[in-house]
Amino acid sequence: MIEISNLNVAIQGTPILRNVNLVVPAGGMVGLIGRNGAGKTTLLRSIMGLLKPADGCIQIDGINMTTMDGFRRAHHQVGYMPEDRRLVPELTAAENILVPAWATRMPDPKVRLKWVYSLMPEVENLASRRALSLSGGQQKLVALARALMVGKKVLLLDEPFEGVAPTLCKRLVDVITTLKNEGIAVLISESDYTHTHGVVDRSYVIERGSVSTGC
Amino acid sequence: MRAFDKTPLAIVVATTLLLVGFFVFPAWLSLMVVTIIAKALVVVGVVVLMRSGLVSFGQGLYYCIGGYAVSLGEQVLQITDIFVLLALAMAAGLVAGSILGLLMSRYREIFFAMFSLALSMILYGILSRTQSLGSTDGLNIVQPTLFGIKLATQQAKLLIYFTTCVLAALVTYAVHRYIRSPLGYASMAVRDNEIRVEYLGLAPKKVFYSNYVIASVVAALGGAITALNYGHVQPDMAYWSQSGEFIFIALMGGTSHVAAAFLGSAVFETIRTYALELAPDAWRVILGGVLIAIICFLPKGLWSLTQFGKRSGSSDWDRVVDEKDST
Repeated sequence: MIEISNLNVAIQGTPILRNVNLVVPAGGMVGLIGRNGAGKTTLLRSIMGLLKPADGCIQIDGINMTTMDGFRRAHHQVGYMPEDRRLVPELTAAENILVPAWATRMPDPKVRLKWVYSLMPEVENLASRRALSLSGGQQKLVALARALMVGKKVLLLDEPFEGVAPTLCKRLVDVITTLKNEGIAVLISESDYTHTHGVVDRSYVIERGSVSTGC
Repeated sequence: MRAFDKTPLAIVVATTLLLVGFFVFPAWLSLMVVTIIAKALVVVGVVVLMRSGLVSFGQGLYYCIGGYAVSLGEQVLQITDIFVLLALAMAAGLVAGSILGLLMSRYREIFFAMFSLALSMILYGILSRTQSLGSTDGLNIVQPTLFGIKLATQQAKLLIYFTTCVLAALVTYAVHRYIRSPLGYASMAVRDNEIRVEYLGLAPKKVFYSNYVIASVVAALGGAITALNYGHVQPDMAYWSQSGEFIFIALMGGTSHVAAAFLGSAVFETIRTYALELAPDAWRVILGGVLIAIICFLPKGLWSLTQFGKRSGSSDWDRVVDEKDST
């Protein structure tokens, strides 16, 4: 569960997020809709601890993570899929997926990897290929698989459908829909409702750094 | 099928050949082999740093610390045993690296390079102006002993040669394992994007710090071996041109494998030896020309010659995937 209250974030003195209040319940799927530059990525990066808030509180599963180092999020089973994928080009797809598993010293990564592969069999077929040889869409799938490795409690997906072919978008929607039964709190950012409509339980709208309740 | 790691076998074969070689090589070649290995050890550290995107122009600092630790260990602490002296040098590198690493792991790119250079030049300046440490003349080192037993000159040379080869084998294997460990992979990830490593669950500073300390210890070991090999240390070990030489060798060999440092060092020393003989006044031109040729035609270093037709990146994680495949 994610609980954000009165969050204010500034980048180099410029206020980006203003008094943000947002809740994603455990097992809930919530959308964050906003145009480019509205503050979606800033909010997700703040939740991940990559940006330090000026004010406010971020709680994940009841733990106050506002001042906690960013790298500890993965240890608290928070998975993050950034907008630009950011795979390690020299590593294979499987190695990329397993990076957070060894970083967090996951006891049995094979079990989780098997589950991820069962969700996305096409990723298993890419396992031995180096990330730099994958197409943009394939990299999206691998990035989602990587986020799922540790995202047992919380999953943050930053514009997962951006720049992806329609067929692959549908596939991503299918995979994300499957997660509804896994008890994971999922927050998906998107520029409009095109793909998340019918998938998310509720939505927030973000405009110029202010978040309001959507549909 | 799990990819067979040929490196341990290659290390054993290469070490055995070098050990046998001592009885065949002329004296000058044995001396050169020890020099090559000593410098390669420092370069191994440089490679570890370069894999995480850090270029140290001051690795001579730890090379010098290792050398002076041996000398001072003999003169001040009256230690003559080769293993104790080498352990002392590594401990000195570890302590200095652990302390300075706290500061250095905060810096990146050109700031890291210049900071490391500044630190090594500070040591050079201190040593050059300290009479009790030999000033610019440096310090001599007496022949080491083995478990308190004094050795004849030829026996001592054999001891230094064998110890160098065996230690280099152990260090090479250890660093090879490290590079293929999770922290080693994190180095590659952190080089590309530091933030990514953070949200995947690792602290980038920890990665930089670990690499820095490892590089410090192996550089100190390289310096200690050089000191024992030549029986002399001088402040020039910390001079910027010495640190530049290590970067030069790392670029020649490449950074894709730990053994590349040894290949680069061997080629460097061989070219320098013959270039000095052929053109005593222009040997640097020849070395520079070779480096330019390598950068132009083998941008990933000489080691890339061994990689044609191979897929790089196989790792311990293949095991995880392979085991899954077999079930």
